[in-house]
Amino acid sequence: MAFPLPRGITPPEISFLAEMEMVTIVPRQRLEGLELLGGPISPLIPPRRTPVPLWLALLLKRQRRANILPPPWLHPESLSLILDTETQHQDYKHAFSPPPPLPGQPNMRERGQRPIARPRYTPEGQRYYRTPPFLPQNVARDQAFDDGEPPTLPFHWLEVGTMLLDVASDDVVDPDQTRRLLKELREVRSAKIRSGVDLLEDAATAGGGVALTGVGAMEIGEGRGFISGVVDGLRRIGASKEQARREQMAEATANGGYDATQDDDDDMEF
Amino acid sequence: MSYYDVDSILTDAQKLPCTFELDVPGLGILEGNPGESIKAGTRIDLPLWLGEMLSIGARLGTSRLVTLDIPSALSERVMNAFQADPRTVDLRSLAPNYYRLSERVLELFEEEEMIDILSNTFKKRAAEIADHAHNPKGALGDGAEFLQGLDETERQLFRVAHDSAKETRIWAGEAKKR
Repeated sequence: MAFPLPRGITPPEISFLAEMEMVTIVPRQRLEGLELLGGPISPLIPPRRTPVPLWLALLLKRQRRANILPPPWLHPESLSLILDTETQHQDYKHAFSPPPPLPGQPNMRERGQRPIARPRYTPEGQRYYRTPPFLPQNVARDQAFDDGEPPTLPFHWLEVGTMLLDVASDDVVDPDQTRRLLKELREVRSAKIRSGVDLLEDAATAGGGVALTGVGAMEIGEGRGFISGVVDGLRRIGASKEQARREQMAEATANGGYDATQDDDDDMEF
Repeated sequence: MSYYDVDSILTDAQKLPCTFELDVPGLGILEGNPGESIKAGTRIDLPLWLGEMLSIGARLGTSRLVTLDIPSALSERVMNAFQADPRTVDLRSLAPNYYRLSERVLELFEEEEMIDILSNTFKKRAAEIADHAHNPKGALGDGAEFLQGLDETERQLFRVAHDSAKETRIWAGEAKKR
């Protein structure tokens, strides 16, 4: 209790974690390849585009040794598209705009298809599947919109966007407009988090849950204390009801009806 | 609920109306006349911890010493007020640790409907608290009355929501540090 920091993770810590996201830079100076803990960096040869971690990109940008290519979603056009989805689209009135698709996940147009995860291999020949946060969600793409994919917000959108606007605002297209859109998106989404309290009752009952798909890292960090507090309060109030339900269930199982176990399964599925 | 939790200690001290079913010699001290005995049928407000202990017989089905009643804070009248509009009820004047008290009372009584009303109240009020916590102007203006009526659990909720919103604003450079 006497520990001054709140439980969970503070905003500076979240943005520290976001600094390991890969971004694309255009170096202005030569630099030998670097052996970093997170993996080797290929040699920087101007003007060849190279992916580097965000912290290194920001460092090089501050020293005027490189320019950062902003990720495709950090563009007034994509951001206003996402904002439209968040505010106008019927399906997303109370939900968040979808996160970037995982590798092998069918995209928006071919939604009915089954996801196929394609394995990759390490240099030693071991098989692995790529997952966030090791997906290049923030690197610049050559054909940003050619594939017809709607733009999506990555997990660390708020942190990466804010840091890029702070340090490399001259590399971002129309920084003022972008900043305004980011702020607007944040307000729209935080209002959604607050109005989502109604759904939290599902999280307090056994077998239930609340989907947080598409919510960013900073938003989760901000809402953590409040959301867990509400869920805990609801759980305490409903504790005796839950107790009674469990006793009933145990009784039904003890009486040995086959039907009873089936009911149990149904509950778990939900 | 931990041993050192101040709020749960305070909840233990909340009064619960009890009716004695038996004559108890020498327990008149509870009524304020020490040395006397307590007659059957006397109604006294006892602290939660004591009433709970004395009523254990009732729960076991043997001869009971006291029967418990639902405290006035959880009466029908208050439940009706919750159903009308949860936001206008001043929980703090009913009981400083309102939800903790109701949690304990609900362990003693089987009141399915009350659980539903209370969960709904908690949710509605939590949404309101979140709005106030994110909007500092509201705390000075029209929301002051609502915020004064929060119980201890809700105050902690308000505090945590307000602090995390503030931390994020500081990080984003929109607010000054402390």
